[in-house]
Amino acid sequence: MTLVELKEGDRARIVRVTGEEAVKRHLGALGFVAGTVVRVVGESYGNMILAVHESRIAVNDATAMNVEVQNV
Amino acid sequence: MSKSVKIALAGNPNSGKTTLFNALTGSEQYVGNWPGVTVEKKDGILVGHKEVVIQDLPGIYSLSPYSIEEKVSRRFLVEEGPDAILNIVDGTNIERNLYFSTQLAELGLPMVMAVNMMDVVKKNGDKIDFEKIARALRCEVVGISALKNEGGMEAAEKVVEMAKKSVVEKGPGKLPDVPHVFSGSVEHAIAHIEESIQGKVPLRSIRWYAIKVFERDREIIKTLDISVGEMKHIEEHIRDCEKELGDDAESIITSQRYDFIKRLMDKSLALNEKRKDKATLSDKVDKVVTHRILALPIFILSLCAMWFLAVAENGPGTMLTDWANDGFLADGWHLPFTMHECREDGKYKGMEFEDAQGEFAKAEATVAAWEAGEKKASIEDEDTGEIAEEWDIDEAAYNAAKEFEEPDPGQFGVWVPGLGALITGALERAGVSDTVKSLVVDGAWGGVATVLGFVPVIFIVFLFLAFLEDCGYMARVAFIMDRLLRRFGLSGKSFIPMLIGKGCGVPAVMAARAIENERARRMTVILATFVPCGAKTVIIAMFAALFFREQWYIAAMMDVVGIAIIILGGIALKKTRFFAGEASSFVLELPAYHMPTISGVWHHTWNRLKGYILKAGFVIFPACVFLWFIMHFDWALNLLADEEIEKSILHDLGSWIAWIFEPLGFGSWQGAAASVSAEIAKEQATATLKLVTVGMEGVSSGAHIQNFFASISAFPKLAALSFMMFNLFVPPCMVAIAVTFREMGSQKWGWFAVGFQLFVGYVLALSVYQLGVLIAGGGFGFWTAVAILVDLAVIWAIVRPARKGGK
Repeated sequence: MTLVELKEGDRARIVRVTGEEAVKRHLGALGFVAGTVVRVVGESYGNMILAVHESRIAVNDATAMNVEVQNV
Repeated sequence: MSKSVKIALAGNPNSGKTTLFNALTGSEQYVGNWPGVTVEKKDGILVGHKEVVIQDLPGIYSLSPYSIEEKVSRRFLVEEGPDAILNIVDGTNIERNLYFSTQLAELGLPMVMAVNMMDVVKKNGDKIDFEKIARALRCEVVGISALKNEGGMEAAEKVVEMAKKSVVEKGPGKLPDVPHVFSGSVEHAIAHIEESIQGKVPLRSIRWYAIKVFERDREIIKTLDISVGEMKHIEEHIRDCEKELGDDAESIITSQRYDFIKRLMDKSLALNEKRKDKATLSDKVDKVVTHRILALPIFILSLCAMWFLAVAENGPGTMLTDWANDGFLADGWHLPFTMHECREDGKYKGMEFEDAQGEFAKAEATVAAWEAGEKKASIEDEDTGEIAEEWDIDEAAYNAAKEFEEPDPGQFGVWVPGLGALITGALERAGVSDTVKSLVVDGAWGGVATVLGFVPVIFIVFLFLAFLEDCGYMARVAFIMDRLLRRFGLSGKSFIPMLIGKGCGVPAVMAARAIENERARRMTVILATFVPCGAKTVIIAMFAALFFREQWYIAAMMDVVGIAIIILGGIALKKTRFFAGEASSFVLELPAYHMPTISGVWHHTWNRLKGYILKAGFVIFPACVFLWFIMHFDWALNLLADEEIEKSILHDLGSWIAWIFEPLGFGSWQGAAASVSAEIAKEQATATLKLVTVGMEGVSSGAHIQNFFASISAFPKLAALSFMMFNLFVPPCMVAIAVTFREMGSQKWGWFAVGFQLFVGYVLALSVYQLGVLIAGGGFGFWTAVAILVDLAVIWAIVRPARKGGK
C-alpha cells in the first residue's frame, strides 16, 4: 500500500520510494528511505502532514502515492 | 594583515542559520547573487575578526543536485573551497540534520558542527553526546542557542582557529581523515573509484567525488574525464552492489547514510521517552490551521487583517501613507502630540492647522476665480481631480480673501519641514531659473516622491508577510493552497509570490525562486504580476472615482479579474507544449510554529523593501527626468508652457503610436503617451493623463480627463474602462520586466513572458471595449469581429483537451 491509504494517527514503515528521480532524491534527504517509520499527523483531501524523525513534512497526494509503506 | 579566511556557513532550512549569520556578522553583510544563477549570496565579516569572511550558503538538505540552491552550494564547496565549514544543526531534529552533515564531512575540510537550539533540547529532557558524534564524523561539535545568542561566537572562533591551523599544517593535498559510513561492498566499490579518479580531483575531497560517481551523478562525472574503459570497470562494481543489495545505487547511499546515523544516534542520543509520538503544540495548532474546512476561512481572515493594516481607510497603512505623501515627502509635518490651536492674534487664532489651511486654500481659490472674472470658485479633490466644494463669490468676498496670509505651521506646533519643501527652498536660495526648478521639483523629485509615497503600504504588506513566513504559517499556506493551484499548473508555493505581488511585483517575481519545479516557477513569474500592485491601485482609485461612482464594484472587480487571469492563464499555459507534464509533486517541511525575532522579521522585510526603494533611485529618477523633458520641449528644444503640451515631443511620439490603441477606444496621442509612460512606473498613467489633458474643457483635472474620454469615444465609460484595464494587465513596470527576464533564465523565456502579458492586456481591453460597444448598441464593425474571433481562440485555448502526458 502507499501513504495515501493511511489515516490520521497511523504509523507505517517505508518500503520503497518511487517516481521522478529528483523528487525521490529530495524525499530521501528528508528521511523518506526504506525502513524509516512515519506517522500521519494530519490529512486533508489526500494531502498529508507526516512526522518523519522529528520534523513535519507536508506532501500532496501525487507525492504520497509514490511512497510505498507497510504496517508496523 | 594576514590572508583572509573564508568560512562557509551551511545547514538545513529552519536550522537557525540566518539567525546565527546575523549574530556573527552584525551589520557587515554583503548581499549579491551567485554567479550565473538567481540565488541570493550573502557574505559577512565576522564581528571582531576583520580577516574572516562568513559565507552564508542557502539552506539545503543535501548536496545532491535537486534544487538550484543545492547545485550552487556544492559547486561552491567543492570548486572554490572555503577554508573551513561551520555546519549548523537543529538539535531538536538531529537525526535528519546529520544526513547533510555526513556529506559535508566527506568533503575533507576542517569542520565545526554547531548543534543549535540546545535550550529546547534541554527543556525537552533529551541528551546528546557530542563526543561520540565528533568522533564518528571527524569534526568538532559544540552546543549553541542562536536565538539566545549563546555559544555561536565560540563556535565561530573555533572554526577560524581550525581553518588557520589546517592552512599551516596540512595544505590541501593531504588525504584527510573522513568518516566511512557505508557497508563492506559499497566501501569496496568506492575505494576502486577513488583509485581511478586520483589526480583528477582535489585529494582532500576525493571521497566525496567517489561517492558521487557511485551515485552516477552526471554533473560530477562530466567534469572528471574518466576513460570509457575505466568507467565500464566502475559501472561493474556499482552493478554488483546494486545486485547484492537489491536497490539502485543512489538509494543505497541514501539509506546507508541513514543507517549509519541511526547507529550513531542509538549510542549518542537519549530522547526523553515521555515525549515520543506525542502531539506537539505545533501539531495541535496545525489540526485547526490545516483543517479541511477551517483552513481556508482562517487564511482569508489573515489576509483581511493584512488588507486592513495596509490599505483600509483609517488603518495604519493609510495614516502612514498620508503622512509620507503630505508631510514627509511634501511640505512638512507636525511632531505628534505637539499640535495645538493657533495662539497668535489674527485670522487664524483658535483654529486647528488643517482648518486654517482649508480657509487659506479657499481664499486663494476665491482670489484666483474673481481675478479670472468668474462668479463661482471651487476646490478640487487632490486624488480624484473632482470638484470637492463650490461657492459663489463677490467683490466683498474677494477683498476679504485677499487679506488672508498663508498660515505659518510653526504657530500650530513643532513643525518639521518635508523633503519637498527643503528641495524647493534650497533651489530658491540658489536662485535657479524656473525651468530648472520645474525640472527638479516636477520632473525628478515628483516622480521619486510618488514612488516613495507607496513605501508605507508596501512596508506594511512586507512586514506582515515576513511575520507570517518567519512564524511558520506561510509554509502551511503553501500546503493548503497546493490542492487548488495544482490544477492550474502552479504549485502551492506560487501563492506567496502572488501575495507579495499585492504590494510590489518586483519582489514578487523574485520570490518565485523558492519553487523547485521549473515549469511551475516560470508560470508563477509570468502570472504573479497580474495581481494589481500598490501602484496600480492608484489607477484604479482614480478611474473608480471619475467614471464608476455608481458602479462601485468595478474597483473590487479588478482584483477578481487579476485572479481570474492567473487561473485561466494557468489552465491555458498548462495545455501548451511548454508547460505540459505530470502533476507536480509537493514536498515541504513545515517548521514548528515559533515567535519570530524582531531582527529576523526586519531583515526579511528590509531586503524586499530595499529593492523597491532602489528602483525609485536608479530607474524612476532618470526616466522621470526624460519624461519631463519630452513633455516640456518641442523638437527645436524650445521650452513650452503647460498649455502648449500639444507642441511637445511627447505629443508627436504619442501620435505615432496612437493607432495601436484605436481598437481599444483610446487611440489618441494622450492615451498612447499615458499608457507608455506607465511602463516607467504604473502610477505614472494617472499623472501623465492629468498633464496631457490640460487643454480639455472643464474646471478641474478630473473634468479634463472625463471630457478627454468623451472627446475620443462615443462610449467614454467603456473607453475609460478599457484604458484602465489595459494599464493594469499589460506587462508591469520596466523594473518588474527586467526582473522577469532575469528570473525566466533566458531572453527567449523573458520575451515569452512579456509577450504573454502584452497579449492578455491588449485582448482584455479590446474585448471590453468592442463587446461593450456592441452591447451598448454601438453597432458591429471590423474590430468587433476581430474581438469575437480572438476571444473564441482564447476560450478554445482554455477549454481544449490537454496534451498527452499532461494530467
